[in-house]
Amino acid sequence: MKESRREFLKKSTCALSMTALATQMHHMGMMSALAQKMDEKEQPAQGGDSYKAIVLLYMSGGNDGNNMVIPVHNDASVSNYAAYAATRQTQGLAIPQASLLPISVPRIGGLTYGLHPALGPVTGGINNGIHELWAQQKLAMVTNVGTLVAPMTKAQYQNNSVPKPYQLFSHSDQVAQSQTSVSSTQAFTGWGGRIADRMNQPNNPNGLIPMITSIAGAQLFTAGQTTLPMAIADANTSLANVLNPAGFNTTAASVARRNAMNQLRTIDLDNNYLAAASHVTDLAMEANNALQTFQEVTVPFPNTGIGRQLRQIARLIKKRTDLNVNRQVFYCQIGGFDTHNNQLNNHTTLLSQFSQAARAFYDEMVVQGVSNDVTLFTLSDFNRTMNPAGSGATVGSDHAWGNHMFVLGGSVAGGDFFGMNTTNGTPFPTLVIGTAGPDDTNSGSGARGRWIPTTSVEQYCATIARWFGLPENELGSVFPNIGTFPQNNLGFMI
Amino acid sequence: MKRPASGRSSSVSIAAAVIIGLLASINIIGQVDPNPNSPVPVLLSQEGSTRALAEYSDEGKGSKNSPFAETAFPLNAKVDLYVTNIELMEGEGANAFRVYLEDTQKRQYRVPVLDLQPSEHQKGVYRVTILLRDELGFWEQPAADGDVLVRLTWRGLSSNRVRLGLGKTGGDIKDDPGSQPTPLSRAASFMTGTEPPTSEYVGYRWSGDRMRFLQQATFGANRSLDDRIRRIGLRTYLAEQFEAPYPSLSNLYPNIPLKHIDSNNSTLGCGMFTDGTAERRICFRDHYTQYPLQNWFFKEALYGEPQLRHRVAWALGQIWVVSGVDTQQSSWMIAYHKILSQHAFGNYRDLMRDMTLNPAMGNYLDMVRSTKNNPNENYPREILQLFSVGLFMLNQDGTLMLDGNNQPIPTYDQSTVDNFTKVMTGWTFCNVGCPNSAPSIVNYKDPMILNQNNHDITAKTLLAYPNAVNQNIPAGLNGNTELELALDNIFYHPNVGPFVSKLLIQHMVTSDPTPAYVGRVAAVFNNNGFGVRGDLKAVVKAILLDPEARGDVKTDPNFGKLREPVQLVTNVLKAFDAKSANLTQQSDGVINGLTNPLGQNVFYSPTVFNYFPPDYTIPGTALIGPEFGIMTTGTAIGRLNFANTMVYNRINGGTENVPQGTSLDLTEIEAIAAADPTGNLLLDELNKRLLHYTMSPQMRATILPAVTAVASSNPRARAQAAIYLVATSSQFQVQR
Repeated sequence: MKESRREFLKKSTCALSMTALATQMHHMGMMSALAQKMDEKEQPAQGGDSYKAIVLLYMSGGNDGNNMVIPVHNDASVSNYAAYAATRQTQGLAIPQASLLPISVPRIGGLTYGLHPALGPVTGGINNGIHELWAQQKLAMVTNVGTLVAPMTKAQYQNNSVPKPYQLFSHSDQVAQSQTSVSSTQAFTGWGGRIADRMNQPNNPNGLIPMITSIAGAQLFTAGQTTLPMAIADANTSLANVLNPAGFNTTAASVARRNAMNQLRTIDLDNNYLAAASHVTDLAMEANNALQTFQEVTVPFPNTGIGRQLRQIARLIKKRTDLNVNRQVFYCQIGGFDTHNNQLNNHTTLLSQFSQAARAFYDEMVVQGVSNDVTLFTLSDFNRTMNPAGSGATVGSDHAWGNHMFVLGGSVAGGDFFGMNTTNGTPFPTLVIGTAGPDDTNSGSGARGRWIPTTSVEQYCATIARWFGLPENELGSVFPNIGTFPQNNLGFMI
Repeated sequence: MKRPASGRSSSVSIAAAVIIGLLASINIIGQVDPNPNSPVPVLLSQEGSTRALAEYSDEGKGSKNSPFAETAFPLNAKVDLYVTNIELMEGEGANAFRVYLEDTQKRQYRVPVLDLQPSEHQKGVYRVTILLRDELGFWEQPAADGDVLVRLTWRGLSSNRVRLGLGKTGGDIKDDPGSQPTPLSRAASFMTGTEPPTSEYVGYRWSGDRMRFLQQATFGANRSLDDRIRRIGLRTYLAEQFEAPYPSLSNLYPNIPLKHIDSNNSTLGCGMFTDGTAERRICFRDHYTQYPLQNWFFKEALYGEPQLRHRVAWALGQIWVVSGVDTQQSSWMIAYHKILSQHAFGNYRDLMRDMTLNPAMGNYLDMVRSTKNNPNENYPREILQLFSVGLFMLNQDGTLMLDGNNQPIPTYDQSTVDNFTKVMTGWTFCNVGCPNSAPSIVNYKDPMILNQNNHDITAKTLLAYPNAVNQNIPAGLNGNTELELALDNIFYHPNVGPFVSKLLIQHMVTSDPTPAYVGRVAAVFNNNGFGVRGDLKAVVKAILLDPEARGDVKTDPNFGKLREPVQLVTNVLKAFDAKSANLTQQSDGVINGLTNPLGQNVFYSPTVFNYFPPDYTIPGTALIGPEFGIMTTGTAIGRLNFANTMVYNRINGGTENVPQGTSLDLTEIEAIAAADPTGNLLLDELNKRLLHYTMSPQMRATILPAVTAVASSNPRARAQAAIYLVATSSQFQVQR
């Protein structure tokens, strides 16, 4: 054990300087735990030669999936446009049928659904948006996804015979559950972090930066038990500057000061807060050394928050070989989806920003020749109530549950809906509120149209993690409740 | 303690009496401060070794004939350890103590402390009963394969570490350097106790604690604050601060009129100024962004007298979050901030009402749009979850109450939120008939008013708890009446005391307070001693004077907090006497550009959950560290670059948005650097100003060569190098 730990430390820190080693050693427990895990495995998980990256694009605030994808067809055997309009038109929240961008859905007999018009070409846009990638089979949708402890029917929801996710409809808790994948109890770590805990060492043994990068600050998704993410600014800052301490030069005094600063992080580590602060700074200083040169991307990206974040991610992917990374997890975020009011304009703006940026990112991956190796997917806090909040110009919607997610990339089985069937025999929920609505949580007067998810966040994310290379026998340790659901592969990744 | 010579004593008493008399004339009574330092606990060991003095706690296990014969214990055993040199307050017991194990792999475990009783073996020795089982759940249970090191902490102080056999004795663990046996036979010699109080008036002489107190109660220590506390002590300083006018007379709240919602409006917006002109830009900046409030805030932090109220208001504003992200005008936010500061030393119940009816809050969390036909549950949910009771039932010490299956008990469910939502329907802006009502503007200054026609008058069922106040609200009431009933239903919930107390402790003192500390403060929240619940003045005093907060130095490895960006920046600026860029006047306060890149854009919290969540757990640890929620690789480098900006450069003035600029004044520190070519005096001064005398010898030895690498003929550059290194060190980044 002792022997192998030393060996492991040597391996895992070969990219790190001695200063980083000291705080790493302070976190020795975590290192040893991993070393032990490695010892126990006869065959460590192998990533192979190829590169793969997954990009979580988080829509913060609760994206109104009910207005992102809408039935266009008039087939009355499943919820059609009229069913949608029946709830949303009067108060002014309905998107006109003619303006929807048609998508064909083989899973539902080839019926036509429609994407929000902001997901196609838009005024002032720099590309055609993501809509046309549906027909090219690069874009798929996983429908009625949400936080779940176990599969749940409306009756079970109402008679409490199946445990519910804690604090449904609360932002912070539902964000946490989406990002940890755990809805039964509060979790310390995110599922991205847990993937990195298990996959970084076997796949990126000589990686010069952490496996996970967030362009949107520290997030629960990125927190591992043992791994920390790299968090950097968006593309407004060049990679060479994102982590560069200013004010140093090559004079002897400056070099002495820099050495002292590095040395200070290796002492007085008895206080755990102090050690944690030093450890984060170490990571930053090491990554900085690796980021001093980079090449700009080819495709134009929109100059929006999400555009700049995805552009920064594209720069890092372009530099993957230099950074010695074979597997990467990225986190980016677009906020403002908590549209309790003024939804129509705001949601249009947000969706077009998302679509323009995601399309630019996909096109850049094609240019880089890695579009089959990089998958972008969305998550959000929750869907919004089918029943609008308010009416007229300021109409909005409230917090709900089961929602629709996009998956985008060359390895996506695009052009279709995925996920478990709802009570209507399709993966798309019945858009009926209250007692007559089989997918609504509530009956009677309190009903607002909150769909009970039929596909759990864990099933959705496990499908992506499996494609990414998480070994089958590790699925249960990253997604602890996955065994309670009938499928752990929804089939949308090729 | 020696008795002071009588002659000196009397003259000092006279001086004290004069000072007390002066203070009494402004309604402040001078109060004597006791020694703030708690004794350092000592865990007892066996004779001749550092192995813990330990035995099975359960009856029937172990040999009564030869106590302490066992040297190894299995997991899940109840074990008694022995500690001495502690002095307990009334009611202080097991939950004031934490016991940590560390194994050979340096993993840290915390084990439950079940009981604390005076030992029958010897007076002054206490028996601590622990359960040998990790309670943090970060690691799996420790392996029962040899010795671990055991540490006990109390009031932020760590004991010595002793060995305990887990499963068996032996293994690779090493004693701490220099550790010695601490046997029962010598227990009496370990009891140092605290100094008895004296009647001698010598001011507040605990210099380390003075600086620590100022870090907790102000926006940073400087010499004049330190001098003041040295003269009058903590209690009198607190009494002064409670009475001090706010804001400072020289820095009144910006007087910004309400404007039209449309900033381009030609009469009530900024449309009367030609597009592209400075007037138009300035009009927009001052009315439609939080710029004037931010600058006011920082000036008050840097120069204001009423530091404590400013600090508590800042903490309360990180609980009752309203963000400039959704709050268009500075005038709206100023009205909100006035409520924070007005009630910072008032009653929490009043804060609850005034915040609920504040229009900026009403807009931010949508209550102003909530009607019986279109209810909005945003504010009702957040007032419960974030501002008052939280998600789970709490014991008075802030720990989770558990049900029979060891599961936490939800405080409320969705139907409770629905019912509060109904209570809070029908409120709107007072656009007619209130002091600030005016045509064509929305009144974001006066409290919202009720439109009873939009109020849901059905019966409601609110929070359930033992002896619940107003749990059931009958149908047909007026919305004003209902709001008061409902707020009382929340306010009297037993969670509010521990919930609010813990948050305020985290913002001011330490990220992971002991349950005992939370419990002591919550008791004051529940009753200030005069039967009043929710007295924030009493709560703040209890937080700052608690023995867990006080003392010259804290050695518990889990004590302290990462300085949030605002504190980091203002602490450094105050320590080096920040002025305008040319050092001729005060800074203009335009320094939000320093905290924003570190994750704190003042008055622009990204969400209602504040810049960082109170329960944030640091990755790779089981340690609660809220401020680490915004400590990333990116902001870690940002902290270094902040120091570079202010130590080696300045914020230049003379521009439209930065009239005077900001600079440290290094005159004094440069003189100290010049006076001592060895650099030691310089480090002594920084040790005092920034580290409250806790700089370790290794830290000094690490910094000195970088100071002396600069030519002694350039004392300014020497001072800069030293300040940069201390200010960027984790030793300073963490407030302890």
